Amino acid sequence: MTALLSVRDLSVGCRRDRAEAPALKGISLDVKTGERLAIIGESGSGKSTLALAIAGLLARGAKVEGLIGWKQSSLQSPHSFAPPSVLPDISPTRGEISSSAAGSPHATPAIGESGRDSSISPQVGEMSGRTEGGAVERRPFHPRDNPLLGRDIGFVFQDPSSSLDPVMPIGKQIAEVVHTHLGLSWPDSFAQAKTVLDRVRLPDPEAVLHVYPHQLSGGQKQRVAIAAAIAAGPKLLIADEATSALDTIVQAEIVALIRRLVAEDGMTLLFISHDIALAATLADRVAVLRHGELVELGETDQILNAPRHAYTRALLDAHLGLDAEPLLDRQGASA
Amino acid sequence: MTVLAVSSLAKRYRRGGKPFAAVDDVSFEIGRAETLALAGPSGSGKSTIARLVLRLIEPDAGRVDFEGADFLALSGAALRARRARIQMVFQDPLAAFNPRVTVARVLDDPLRIHGIAPRAERPRRIAALLERVGLDAGLAARAIHEISGGQRQRVAIARAIATRPTLIVLDEAVSALDVSVRGQILELLLDLQRQERIAYLFISHDLGVIRAVAHRVVILDAGRIAESGDARAVIANPRSAIGKALVAATPRLTRNRP
Repeated sequence: MTALLSVRDLSVGCRRDRAEAPALKGISLDVKTGERLAIIGESGSGKSTLALAIAGLLARGAKVEGLIGWKQSSLQSPHSFAPPSVLPDISPTRGEISSSAAGSPHATPAIGESGRDSSISPQVGEMSGRTEGGAVERRPFHPRDNPLLGRDIGFVFQDPSSSLDPVMPIGKQIAEVVHTHLGLSWPDSFAQAKTVLDRVRLPDPEAVLHVYPHQLSGGQKQRVAIAAAIAAGPKLLIADEATSALDTIVQAEIVALIRRLVAEDGMTLLFISHDIALAATLADRVAVLRHGELVELGETDQILNAPRHAYTRALLDAHLGLDAEPLLDRQGASA
Repeated sequence: MTVLAVSSLAKRYRRGGKPFAAVDDVSFEIGRAETLALAGPSGSGKSTIARLVLRLIEPDAGRVDFEGADFLALSGAALRARRARIQMVFQDPLAAFNPRVTVARVLDDPLRIHGIAPRAERPRRIAALLERVGLDAGLAARAIHEISGGQRQRVAIARAIATRPTLIVLDEAVSALDVSVRGQILELLLDLQRQERIAYLFISHDLGVIRAVAHRVVILDAGRIAESGDARAVIANPRSAIGKALVAATPRLTRNRP
Protein backbone atom coordinates (compact mmCIF):
# COMPACT_ATOMS: atom_id res chain seq x y z
CA MET A 1 0.00 0.00 0.00
CA THR A 2 1.39 3.41 -0.89
CA ALA A 3 1.74 6.35 1.41
CA LEU A 4 -0.74 9.17 1.06
CA LEU A 5 1.56 11.29 3.13
CA SER A 6 4.91 10.94 4.80
CA VAL A 7 5.94 12.74 7.94
CA ARG A 8 9.70 12.91 8.41
CA ASP A 9 11.49 14.20 11.48
CA LEU A 10 8.67 16.57 12.28
CA SER A 11 9.33 18.77 15.27
CA VAL A 12 6.99 21.52 16.37
CA GLY A 13 7.72 24.01 19.09
CA CYS A 14 5.19 26.30 20.62
CA ARG A 15 5.95 29.28 22.79
CA ARG A 16 4.62 28.95 26.27
CA ASP A 17 5.53 31.17 29.21
CA ARG A 18 8.29 32.74 27.13
CA ALA A 19 10.01 29.38 26.72
CA GLU A 20 10.12 27.09 23.74
CA ALA A 21 7.98 24.09 24.59
CA PRO A 22 8.42 21.19 22.20
CA ALA A 23 5.02 19.87 21.15
CA LEU A 24 6.38 17.28 18.73
CA LYS A 25 9.88 15.83 18.70
CA GLY A 26 11.17 14.21 15.55
CA ILE A 27 8.03 12.36 14.46
CA SER A 28 8.34 10.14 11.40
CA LEU A 29 5.48 8.08 10.07
CA ASP A 30 3.63 7.26 6.87
CA VAL A 31 -0.10 7.43 6.44
CA LYS A 32 -1.03 4.79 3.90
CA THR A 33 -3.59 5.52 1.23
CA GLY A 34 -6.99 4.25 2.33
CA GLU A 35 -5.99 3.20 5.83
CA ARG A 36 -7.58 4.15 9.11
CA LEU A 37 -4.77 5.31 11.37
CA ALA A 38 -5.47 6.16 15.00
CA ILE A 39 -3.21 8.58 16.81
CA ILE A 40 -3.63 8.13 20.53
CA GLY A 41 -2.07 9.73 23.55
CA GLU A 42 -2.82 11.60 26.73
CA SER A 43 -3.03 15.35 27.11
CA GLY A 44 0.21 17.00 26.06
CA SER A 45 1.25 14.04 23.92
CA GLY A 46 1.19 16.13 20.76
CA LYS A 47 -1.56 14.16 19.01
CA SER A 48 -3.60 17.24 18.14
CA THR A 49 -0.48 19.17 17.14
CA LEU A 50 0.32 16.40 14.67
CA ALA A 51 -3.21 16.55 13.26
CA LEU A 52 -3.03 20.32 12.94
CA ALA A 53 0.42 20.16 11.32
CA ILE A 54 -0.82 17.69 8.71
CA ALA A 55 -3.84 19.89 8.03
CA GLY A 56 -1.68 23.00 7.81
CA LEU A 57 -3.52 24.57 10.71
CA LEU A 58 -0.66 25.26 13.10
CA ALA A 59 -0.54 28.74 14.57
CA ARG A 60 1.79 31.06 12.71
CA GLY A 61 4.09 31.39 15.70
CA ALA A 62 4.79 27.67 15.80
CA LYS A 63 8.33 26.67 15.00
CA VAL A 64 8.30 23.77 12.60
CA GLU A 65 11.12 21.55 11.42
CA GLY A 66 11.00 18.45 9.31
CA LEU A 67 8.86 17.50 6.40
CA ILE A 68 5.34 16.54 5.55
CA GLY A 69 5.24 15.15 2.06
CA TRP A 70 2.16 14.28 0.04
CA LYS A 71 1.88 11.93 -2.83
CA GLN A 72 1.34 14.42 -5.61
CA SER A 73 -0.85 12.29 -7.81
CA SER A 74 -3.24 11.67 -4.99
CA LEU A 75 -4.19 15.29 -4.90
CA GLN A 76 -4.76 15.83 -8.60
CA SER A 77 -7.70 13.52 -8.96
CA PRO A 78 -9.47 13.53 -5.67
CA HIS A 79 -11.96 10.82 -6.53
CA SER A 80 -9.75 8.15 -8.00
CA PHE A 81 -6.85 6.30 -6.59
CA ALA A 82 -3.50 7.01 -8.14
CA PRO A 83 -1.20 4.21 -9.21
CA PRO A 84 1.33 3.15 -6.64
CA SER A 85 4.26 5.46 -6.37
CA VAL A 86 7.22 5.81 -4.11
CA LEU A 87 9.08 8.49 -2.31
CA PRO A 88 10.24 10.63 -5.25
CA ASP A 89 6.59 11.40 -5.69
CA ILE A 90 6.48 12.92 -2.25
CA SER A 91 7.16 16.61 -2.13
CA PRO A 92 7.14 19.23 0.55
CA THR A 93 3.85 20.98 0.57
CA ARG A 94 3.89 24.07 2.65
CA GLY A 95 6.19 27.00 3.08
CA GLU A 96 6.48 26.50 6.78
CA ILE A 97 6.74 22.75 6.68
CA SER A 98 9.83 22.05 4.71
CA SER A 99 13.05 20.18 4.92
CA SER A 100 15.72 21.68 7.05
CA ALA A 101 19.44 21.01 7.08
CA ALA A 102 19.45 21.14 10.81
CA GLY A 103 18.71 17.85 12.44
CA SER A 104 16.10 18.11 15.10
CA PRO A 105 17.75 17.98 18.50
CA HIS A 106 15.01 15.63 19.65
CA ALA A 107 14.92 13.38 16.62
CA THR A 108 14.85 9.73 17.46
CA PRO A 109 18.08 8.22 16.11
CA ALA A 110 16.34 5.07 14.93
CA ILE A 111 13.97 7.07 12.79
CA GLY A 112 16.28 9.69 11.36
CA GLU A 113 17.43 7.62 8.42
CA SER A 114 18.64 10.35 6.14
CA GLY A 115 22.07 10.83 7.66
CA ARG A 116 21.79 14.53 8.19
CA ASP A 117 24.79 16.09 9.79
CA SER A 118 24.53 18.10 12.91
CA SER A 119 25.18 21.53 11.43
CA ILE A 120 22.85 23.98 13.07
CA SER A 121 21.22 26.59 10.93
CA PRO A 122 21.10 30.12 12.34
CA GLN A 123 17.35 29.92 12.72
CA VAL A 124 17.25 26.99 15.05
CA GLY A 125 17.74 29.05 18.15
CA GLU A 126 14.96 31.45 17.30
CA MET A 127 11.92 31.45 19.45
CA SER A 128 9.08 31.98 17.06
CA GLY A 129 7.75 33.63 13.98
CA ARG A 130 9.78 31.54 11.60
CA THR A 131 7.40 30.61 8.88
CA GLU A 132 9.63 31.32 5.93
CA GLY A 133 13.30 31.35 5.20
CA GLY A 134 14.48 28.96 7.85
CA ALA A 135 14.80 26.08 5.51
CA VAL A 136 18.10 25.55 3.83
CA GLU A 137 17.23 22.77 1.46
CA ARG A 138 13.66 23.72 0.71
CA ARG A 139 12.49 22.67 -2.67
CA PRO A 140 10.61 25.00 -4.97
CA PHE A 141 7.08 25.65 -3.89
CA HIS A 142 4.43 24.13 -6.13
CA PRO A 143 0.96 25.46 -5.38
CA ARG A 144 -0.63 22.49 -7.07
CA ASP A 145 1.11 20.19 -4.61
CA ASN A 146 -0.51 21.96 -1.75
CA PRO A 147 -3.21 19.88 -0.13
CA LEU A 148 -6.05 22.20 0.56
CA LEU A 149 -8.02 22.05 3.75
CA GLY A 150 -11.65 21.52 2.86
CA ARG A 151 -10.90 20.13 -0.60
CA ASP A 152 -8.22 17.53 0.04
CA ILE A 153 -8.46 17.30 3.80
CA GLY A 154 -11.65 17.23 5.84
CA PHE A 155 -11.21 18.15 9.48
CA VAL A 156 -13.67 17.38 12.29
CA PHE A 157 -12.97 19.01 15.64
CA GLN A 158 -14.04 17.98 19.13
CA ASP A 159 -16.56 20.73 19.68
CA PRO A 160 -18.96 21.25 16.77
CA SER A 161 -20.42 24.31 18.49
CA SER A 162 -17.17 26.16 18.00
CA SER A 163 -16.41 24.87 14.52
CA LEU A 164 -19.81 25.79 13.09
CA ASP A 165 -20.83 29.39 12.49
CA PRO A 166 -23.63 30.10 14.99
CA VAL A 167 -25.35 32.71 12.82
CA MET A 168 -25.26 30.97 9.43
CA PRO A 169 -27.85 28.37 8.40
CA ILE A 170 -26.47 24.83 8.18
CA GLY A 171 -27.16 24.55 4.45
CA LYS A 172 -25.17 27.69 3.66
CA GLN A 173 -22.19 26.49 5.71
CA ILE A 174 -21.98 23.24 3.79
CA ALA A 175 -22.83 24.75 0.41
CA GLU A 176 -20.00 27.22 0.93
CA VAL A 177 -17.52 24.35 1.12
CA VAL A 178 -18.88 22.87 -2.10
CA HIS A 179 -19.03 26.21 -3.91
CA THR A 180 -15.50 27.16 -2.86
CA HIS A 181 -13.73 23.90 -3.52
CA LEU A 182 -15.70 22.25 -6.31
CA GLY A 183 -16.71 25.46 -8.09
CA LEU A 184 -20.35 24.45 -8.35
CA SER A 185 -23.09 27.04 -8.75
CA TRP A 186 -24.92 28.02 -5.59
CA PRO A 187 -28.08 26.04 -6.43
CA ASP A 188 -25.97 22.98 -7.19
CA SER A 189 -23.94 23.57 -4.03
CA PHE A 190 -27.11 23.61 -1.95
CA ALA A 191 -28.30 20.43 -3.65
CA GLN A 192 -24.96 18.82 -2.80
CA ALA A 193 -25.29 20.07 0.80
CA LYS A 194 -28.64 18.34 1.05
CA THR A 195 -27.11 15.15 -0.31
CA VAL A 196 -24.32 15.08 2.28
CA LEU A 197 -26.76 15.89 5.10
CA ASP A 198 -28.66 12.84 3.98
CA ARG A 199 -25.45 10.83 3.90
CA VAL A 200 -24.67 11.68 7.55
CA ARG A 201 -28.19 10.41 8.36
CA LEU A 202 -29.70 13.61 9.58
CA PRO A 203 -33.47 13.27 9.53
CA ASP A 204 -35.19 15.61 7.07
CA PRO A 205 -32.10 17.13 5.37
CA GLU A 206 -34.29 19.64 3.54
CA ALA A 207 -35.35 21.13 6.88
CA VAL A 208 -31.83 20.96 8.34
CA LEU A 209 -30.57 23.15 5.46
CA HIS A 210 -32.45 26.06 6.98
CA VAL A 211 -31.80 25.63 10.70
CA TYR A 212 -29.03 27.16 12.79
CA PRO A 213 -26.52 25.15 14.87
CA HIS A 214 -28.16 26.03 18.20
CA GLN A 215 -31.34 24.28 17.08
CA LEU A 216 -29.54 20.93 16.90
CA SER A 217 -28.31 18.54 19.60
CA GLY A 218 -24.62 17.91 20.15
CA GLY A 219 -24.68 14.69 18.15
CA GLN A 220 -26.62 16.31 15.30
CA LYS A 221 -24.14 19.21 15.22
CA GLN A 222 -21.26 16.77 14.96
CA ARG A 223 -23.05 15.09 12.03
CA VAL A 224 -23.29 18.51 10.38
CA ALA A 225 -19.58 19.14 11.02
CA ILE A 226 -18.80 15.79 9.42
CA ALA A 227 -21.05 16.64 6.46
CA ALA A 228 -19.14 19.89 5.97
CA ALA A 229 -15.82 18.05 6.24
CA ILE A 230 -16.69 15.52 3.53
CA ALA A 231 -18.74 17.84 1.29
CA ALA A 232 -15.91 18.48 -1.18
CA GLY A 233 -14.84 14.83 -1.32
CA PRO A 234 -11.49 14.98 0.50
CA LYS A 235 -8.96 12.16 0.28
CA LEU A 236 -8.10 12.47 3.95
CA LEU A 237 -10.51 12.84 6.85
CA ILE A 238 -9.02 13.95 10.17
CA ALA A 239 -11.21 13.49 13.24
CA ASP A 240 -9.60 15.17 16.25
CA GLU A 241 -11.34 13.89 19.41
CA ALA A 242 -14.50 14.17 17.35
CA THR A 243 -16.56 12.08 19.75
CA SER A 244 -15.03 13.05 23.08
CA ALA A 245 -17.68 15.60 24.04
CA LEU A 246 -20.54 13.23 23.24
CA ASP A 247 -22.18 10.68 25.48
CA THR A 248 -21.41 7.00 25.01
CA ILE A 249 -24.40 6.18 22.84
CA VAL A 250 -23.98 9.16 20.51
CA GLN A 251 -20.24 8.49 20.40
CA ALA A 252 -20.86 4.97 19.12
CA GLU A 253 -23.23 6.33 16.47
CA ILE A 254 -20.71 8.92 15.26
CA VAL A 255 -17.92 6.32 15.13
CA ALA A 256 -20.20 4.07 13.06
CA LEU A 257 -20.96 7.01 10.77
CA ILE A 258 -17.27 7.81 10.28
CA ARG A 259 -16.52 4.15 9.57
CA ARG A 260 -19.25 3.99 6.93
CA LEU A 261 -18.34 7.26 5.20
CA VAL A 262 -14.64 6.38 5.08
CA ALA A 263 -15.47 3.01 3.53
CA GLU A 264 -17.97 4.39 1.03
CA ASP A 265 -15.70 7.19 -0.20
CA GLY A 266 -12.41 5.33 0.07
CA MET A 267 -11.08 8.06 2.30
CA THR A 268 -7.97 7.79 4.42
CA LEU A 269 -8.76 8.40 8.08
CA LEU A 270 -6.68 9.94 10.83
CA PHE A 271 -8.56 9.31 14.06
CA ILE A 272 -7.13 11.29 16.97
CA SER A 273 -8.25 10.08 20.39
CA HIS A 274 -7.25 9.76 24.02
CA ASP A 275 -9.26 6.53 24.21
CA ILE A 276 -7.28 3.49 23.08
CA ALA A 277 -10.31 1.20 23.23
CA LEU A 278 -12.42 3.50 21.09
CA ALA A 279 -9.57 4.01 18.62
CA ALA A 280 -9.02 0.26 18.36
CA THR A 281 -12.63 -0.32 17.30
CA LEU A 282 -12.01 1.76 14.20
CA ALA A 283 -8.34 1.73 13.29
CA ASP A 284 -6.22 -0.53 11.08
CA ARG A 285 -3.08 0.82 12.72
CA VAL A 286 -2.47 2.70 15.95
CA ALA A 287 0.26 5.25 16.67
CA VAL A 288 0.95 5.96 20.34
CA LEU A 289 2.32 9.39 21.21
CA ARG A 290 3.73 10.53 24.51
CA HIS A 291 5.34 13.85 25.40
CA GLY A 292 5.60 14.71 21.72
CA GLU A 293 7.36 11.52 20.71
CA LEU A 294 6.14 8.54 18.72
CA VAL A 295 6.32 5.71 21.21
CA GLU A 296 4.97 2.91 19.09
CA LEU A 297 3.22 2.36 15.77
CA GLY A 298 1.72 -0.91 14.71
CA GLU A 299 -1.24 -2.89 13.48
CA THR A 300 -4.15 -2.54 15.89
CA ASP A 301 -4.03 -6.22 16.77
CA GLN A 302 -0.32 -6.05 17.57
CA ILE A 303 -0.73 -2.91 19.67
CA LEU A 304 -3.52 -4.52 21.71
CA ASN A 305 -2.07 -7.98 22.09
CA ALA A 306 1.68 -7.57 21.82
CA PRO A 307 2.54 -3.98 22.69
CA ARG A 308 6.29 -3.43 22.49
CA HIS A 309 6.48 -0.35 24.66
CA ALA A 310 5.82 -0.22 28.39
CA TYR A 311 3.81 2.97 27.96
CA THR A 312 1.42 1.27 25.53
CA ARG A 313 0.98 -1.54 28.03
CA ALA A 314 0.31 1.01 30.77
CA LEU A 315 -2.35 2.69 28.64
CA LEU A 316 -4.01 -0.64 27.96
CA ASP A 317 -3.90 -1.61 31.62
CA ALA A 318 -5.39 1.73 32.66
CA HIS A 319 -8.43 1.11 30.50
CA LEU A 320 -11.43 0.37 32.68
CA GLY A 321 -13.38 -1.96 30.49
CA LEU A 322 -16.53 -3.89 31.18
CA ASP A 323 -14.43 -6.98 31.78
CA ALA A 324 -11.71 -5.42 33.94
CA GLU A 325 -11.30 -6.38 37.56
CA PRO A 326 -13.11 -3.70 39.58
CA LEU A 327 -10.90 -1.45 41.68
CA LEU A 328 -13.29 -2.08 44.55
CA ASP A 329 -12.21 -5.72 44.62
CA ARG A 330 -8.53 -4.95 44.32
CA GLN A 331 -8.77 -2.85 47.44
CA GLY A 332 -10.98 -5.29 49.25
CA ALA A 333 -13.38 -2.52 50.15
CA SER A 334 -17.08 -3.05 50.53
CA ALA A 335 -20.07 -1.19 51.79
CA MET B 1 -27.20 3.38 57.94
CA THR B 2 -28.75 5.57 55.28
CA VAL B 3 -26.90 8.80 54.59
CA LEU B 4 -29.10 10.10 51.80
CA ALA B 5 -32.67 9.16 50.89
CA VAL B 6 -34.29 10.73 47.87
CA SER B 7 -37.96 10.02 47.24
CA SER B 8 -40.26 10.90 44.36
CA LEU B 9 -38.00 13.76 43.32
CA ALA B 10 -39.25 15.83 40.38
CA LYS B 11 -37.96 18.87 38.54
CA ARG B 12 -39.57 20.37 35.44
CA TYR B 13 -38.16 22.93 33.07
CA ARG B 14 -39.57 24.59 30.01
CA ARG B 15 -37.83 23.93 26.73
CA GLY B 16 -39.02 25.77 23.65
CA GLY B 17 -42.11 26.89 25.55
CA LYS B 18 -43.07 23.33 26.39
CA PRO B 19 -42.70 21.87 29.88
CA PHE B 20 -40.50 18.82 30.14
CA ALA B 21 -39.50 16.72 33.13
CA ALA B 22 -35.74 16.86 33.75
CA VAL B 23 -36.23 14.61 36.78
CA ASP B 24 -39.41 12.58 37.16
CA ASP B 25 -40.30 10.50 40.21
CA VAL B 26 -36.76 9.51 41.18
CA SER B 27 -36.12 7.66 44.44
CA PHE B 28 -32.95 6.08 45.80
CA GLU B 29 -30.93 5.69 48.99
CA ILE B 30 -27.20 5.74 49.71
CA GLY B 31 -25.73 4.08 52.78
CA ARG B 32 -22.64 4.92 54.81
CA ALA B 33 -19.41 4.28 52.86
CA GLU B 34 -21.42 3.27 49.80
CA THR B 35 -21.00 4.42 46.22
CA LEU B 36 -24.16 4.84 44.20
CA ALA B 37 -23.59 5.67 40.55
CA LEU B 38 -25.97 7.59 38.32
CA ALA B 39 -25.59 6.62 34.67
CA GLY B 40 -27.43 7.64 31.55
CA PRO B 41 -27.11 9.51 28.29
CA SER B 42 -26.87 13.29 27.99
CA GLY B 43 -30.07 14.89 29.18
CA SER B 44 -31.17 11.94 31.28
CA GLY B 45 -31.21 14.02 34.47
CA LYS B 46 -27.95 12.94 36.16
CA SER B 47 -26.59 16.39 36.86
CA THR B 48 -30.01 17.83 37.71
CA ILE B 49 -30.32 15.21 40.45
CA ALA B 50 -26.88 16.18 41.74
CA ARG B 51 -27.90 19.82 41.89
CA LEU B 52 -31.17 18.97 43.62
CA VAL B 53 -29.36 16.90 46.24
CA LEU B 54 -26.93 19.76 46.85
CA ARG B 55 -29.88 22.21 46.93
CA LEU B 56 -28.27 24.32 44.26
CA ILE B 57 -31.76 24.17 42.74
CA GLU B 58 -35.09 23.38 44.42
CA PRO B 59 -37.29 20.46 43.35
CA ASP B 60 -40.90 20.79 42.24
CA ALA B 61 -41.84 17.73 44.25
CA GLY B 62 -40.29 15.03 46.35
CA ARG B 63 -38.23 14.68 49.45
CA VAL B 64 -34.52 14.67 50.27
CA ASP B 65 -33.49 13.27 53.63
CA PHE B 66 -29.87 13.71 54.60
CA GLU B 67 -28.50 12.11 57.77
CA GLY B 68 -32.05 11.35 58.82
CA ALA B 69 -33.36 14.93 58.60
CA ASP B 70 -35.53 16.64 55.99
CA PHE B 71 -32.84 18.47 54.02
CA LEU B 72 -35.34 20.55 52.03
CA ALA B 73 -36.86 22.00 55.21
CA LEU B 74 -33.58 23.49 56.37
CA SER B 75 -32.72 27.13 55.86
CA GLY B 76 -30.31 29.75 57.12
CA ALA B 77 -27.71 28.71 59.66
CA ALA B 78 -29.11 25.20 60.01
CA LEU B 79 -28.79 24.63 56.26
CA ARG B 80 -25.27 26.03 56.19
CA ALA B 81 -24.21 23.82 59.08
CA ARG B 82 -25.66 20.71 57.46
CA ARG B 83 -24.28 21.61 54.05
CA ALA B 84 -20.74 21.20 55.34
CA ARG B 85 -21.52 17.49 55.51
CA ILE B 86 -22.36 17.27 51.78
CA GLN B 87 -19.51 18.17 49.49
CA MET B 88 -19.02 18.12 45.74
CA VAL B 89 -16.33 17.59 43.13
CA PHE B 90 -17.03 18.59 39.54
CA GLN B 91 -15.53 17.63 36.20
CA ASP B 92 -13.38 20.71 35.70
CA PRO B 93 -11.57 21.93 38.81
CA LEU B 94 -10.21 24.91 36.91
CA ALA B 95 -13.78 26.13 36.49
CA ALA B 96 -14.59 25.33 40.13
CA PHE B 97 -11.73 27.41 41.54
CA ASN B 98 -10.53 30.95 41.20
CA PRO B 99 -7.44 30.16 39.08
CA ARG B 100 -5.35 32.97 40.51
CA VAL B 101 -5.57 32.13 44.19
CA THR B 102 -3.20 29.72 45.89
CA VAL B 103 -3.93 26.13 46.81
CA ALA B 104 -3.71 27.21 50.47
CA ARG B 105 -6.47 29.77 49.94
CA VAL B 106 -8.75 27.19 48.33
CA LEU B 107 -8.34 24.89 51.32
CA ASP B 108 -8.48 27.69 53.88
CA ASP B 109 -11.99 28.71 52.80
CA PRO B 110 -13.94 25.69 54.08
CA LEU B 111 -11.90 25.55 57.30
CA ARG B 112 -12.65 29.23 57.96
CA ILE B 113 -16.24 29.42 56.71
CA HIS B 114 -17.40 26.38 58.61
CA GLY B 115 -15.35 27.31 61.69
CA ILE B 116 -13.45 24.04 61.61
CA ALA B 117 -10.07 25.35 62.71
CA PRO B 118 -8.82 28.63 64.20
CA ARG B 119 -6.53 30.73 62.05
CA ALA B 120 -3.31 29.68 63.78
CA GLU B 121 -4.06 26.02 63.25
CA ARG B 122 -5.13 26.20 59.61
CA PRO B 123 -1.70 25.99 57.90
CA ARG B 124 -1.10 22.70 59.67
CA ARG B 125 -4.57 21.45 58.70
CA ILE B 126 -3.99 22.48 55.10
CA ALA B 127 -0.69 20.60 54.99
CA ALA B 128 -2.40 17.53 56.44
CA LEU B 129 -5.20 17.73 53.85
CA LEU B 130 -2.71 17.95 51.00
CA GLU B 131 -0.81 14.95 52.29
CA ARG B 132 -4.07 13.05 52.72
CA VAL B 133 -4.78 13.39 48.99
CA GLY B 134 -1.24 12.49 48.02
CA LEU B 135 0.14 15.94 47.37
CA ASP B 136 3.27 17.60 48.72
CA ALA B 137 2.47 20.12 51.44
CA GLY B 138 4.74 22.54 49.59
CA LEU B 139 2.08 22.80 46.89
CA ALA B 140 0.07 25.06 49.21
CA ALA B 141 1.89 28.18 48.03
CA ARG B 142 1.29 27.49 44.33
CA ALA B 143 -1.46 29.12 42.31
CA ILE B 144 -4.29 26.92 41.06
CA HIS B 145 -3.46 27.70 37.43
CA GLU B 146 0.15 26.56 37.92
CA ILE B 147 -0.59 22.96 38.88
CA SER B 148 -1.58 20.05 36.67
CA GLY B 149 -5.13 18.87 36.05
CA GLY B 150 -4.63 15.77 38.18
CA GLN B 151 -3.17 17.81 41.03
CA ARG B 152 -6.08 20.22 40.75
CA GLN B 153 -8.61 17.43 41.07
CA ARG B 154 -6.73 16.21 44.16
CA VAL B 155 -7.02 19.73 45.60
CA ALA B 156 -10.76 19.64 44.83
CA ILE B 157 -11.00 16.38 46.76
CA ALA B 158 -8.95 17.86 49.62
CA ARG B 159 -11.35 20.79 49.76
CA ALA B 160 -14.30 18.40 49.76
CA ILE B 161 -12.98 16.34 52.68
CA ALA B 162 -11.90 19.42 54.68
CA THR B 163 -15.31 19.61 56.35
CA ARG B 164 -15.42 15.86 57.12
CA PRO B 165 -18.49 15.18 54.97
CA THR B 166 -20.55 12.01 55.05
CA LEU B 167 -21.51 12.41 51.37
CA ILE B 168 -19.59 13.69 48.36
CA VAL B 169 -21.34 14.27 45.05
CA LEU B 170 -18.86 13.50 42.26
CA ASP B 171 -20.23 14.86 38.98
CA GLU B 172 -18.07 13.45 36.14
CA ALA B 173 -15.16 14.01 38.52
CA VAL B 174 -12.71 11.83 36.58
CA SER B 175 -14.07 12.29 33.06
CA ALA B 176 -11.59 14.95 31.97
CA LEU B 177 -8.53 13.23 33.39
CA ASP B 178 -5.95 11.23 31.47
CA VAL B 179 -6.40 7.50 32.01
CA SER B 180 -3.16 7.15 33.98
CA VAL B 181 -4.21 9.94 36.35
CA ARG B 182 -7.80 8.72 36.45
CA GLY B 183 -6.82 5.40 38.01
CA GLN B 184 -4.87 7.16 40.78
CA ILE B 185 -7.76 9.49 41.58
CA LEU B 186 -10.21 6.59 41.72
CA GLU B 187 -7.85 4.73 44.06
CA LEU B 188 -7.67 7.84 46.24
CA LEU B 189 -11.46 8.10 46.37
CA LEU B 190 -11.79 4.43 47.34
CA ASP B 191 -9.12 4.81 50.01
CA LEU B 192 -10.87 7.86 51.48
CA GLN B 193 -14.14 5.99 51.46
CA ARG B 194 -12.68 3.11 53.40
CA GLN B 195 -10.90 5.32 55.92
CA GLU B 196 -13.51 8.02 56.44
CA ARG B 197 -16.68 6.02 55.65
CA ILE B 198 -17.76 8.63 53.08
CA ALA B 199 -20.69 7.89 50.76
CA TYR B 200 -20.40 8.88 47.10
CA LEU B 201 -23.08 9.87 44.64
CA PHE B 202 -20.98 9.11 41.59
CA ILE B 203 -22.21 10.57 38.32
CA SER B 204 -20.60 9.31 35.16
CA HIS B 205 -21.41 8.53 31.56
CA ASP B 206 -18.71 5.83 31.60
CA LEU B 207 -19.96 2.37 32.56
CA GLY B 208 -16.42 1.05 32.75
CA VAL B 209 -15.54 3.56 35.47
CA ILE B 210 -18.84 2.94 37.27
CA ARG B 211 -18.28 -0.78 37.25
CA ALA B 212 -14.80 -0.26 38.68
CA VAL B 213 -15.80 1.82 41.70
CA ALA B 214 -19.55 1.76 42.36
CA HIS B 215 -21.48 -0.67 44.53
CA ARG B 216 -24.85 0.10 42.98
CA VAL B 217 -25.99 1.89 39.87
CA VAL B 218 -29.13 3.77 38.86
CA ILE B 219 -29.60 4.04 35.10
CA LEU B 220 -31.61 7.06 34.06
CA ASP B 221 -33.46 7.78 30.85
CA ALA B 222 -35.29 11.04 30.19
CA GLY B 223 -35.42 11.90 33.89
CA ARG B 224 -36.80 8.56 35.06
CA ILE B 225 -35.13 5.52 36.57
CA ALA B 226 -34.91 2.85 33.90
CA GLU B 227 -33.34 0.26 36.18
CA SER B 228 -31.14 -0.01 39.24
CA GLY B 229 -29.25 -2.59 41.22
CA ASP B 230 -25.82 -4.03 41.93
CA ALA B 231 -23.46 -2.23 39.56
CA ARG B 232 -21.76 -5.29 38.14
CA ALA B 233 -24.97 -7.29 37.85
CA VAL B 234 -26.79 -4.49 36.02
CA ILE B 235 -23.90 -3.84 33.64
CA ALA B 236 -23.39 -7.55 32.99
CA ASN B 237 -27.06 -8.09 32.26
CA PRO B 238 -28.95 -4.85 31.61
CA ARG B 239 -32.71 -5.23 31.32
CA SER B 240 -33.85 -1.79 30.24
CA ALA B 241 -33.54 -0.62 26.66
CA ILE B 242 -31.32 2.30 27.66
CA GLY B 243 -29.17 0.03 29.84
CA LYS B 244 -28.66 -2.32 26.92
CA ALA B 245 -27.85 0.59 24.61
CA LEU B 246 -25.30 2.03 27.06
CA VAL B 247 -23.56 -1.32 27.49
CA ALA B 248 -23.55 -1.96 23.74
CA ALA B 249 -22.07 1.48 23.05
CA THR B 250 -19.18 1.12 25.51
CA PRO B 251 -15.94 0.50 23.57
CA ARG B 252 -14.30 -2.80 24.33
CA LEU B 253 -10.65 -3.72 24.19
CA THR B 254 -10.59 -7.06 22.45
CA ARG B 255 -7.33 -8.39 23.78
CA ASN B 256 -6.36 -12.00 23.65
CA ARG B 257 -5.52 -12.32 27.29
CA PRO B 258 -3.07 -15.05 28.27
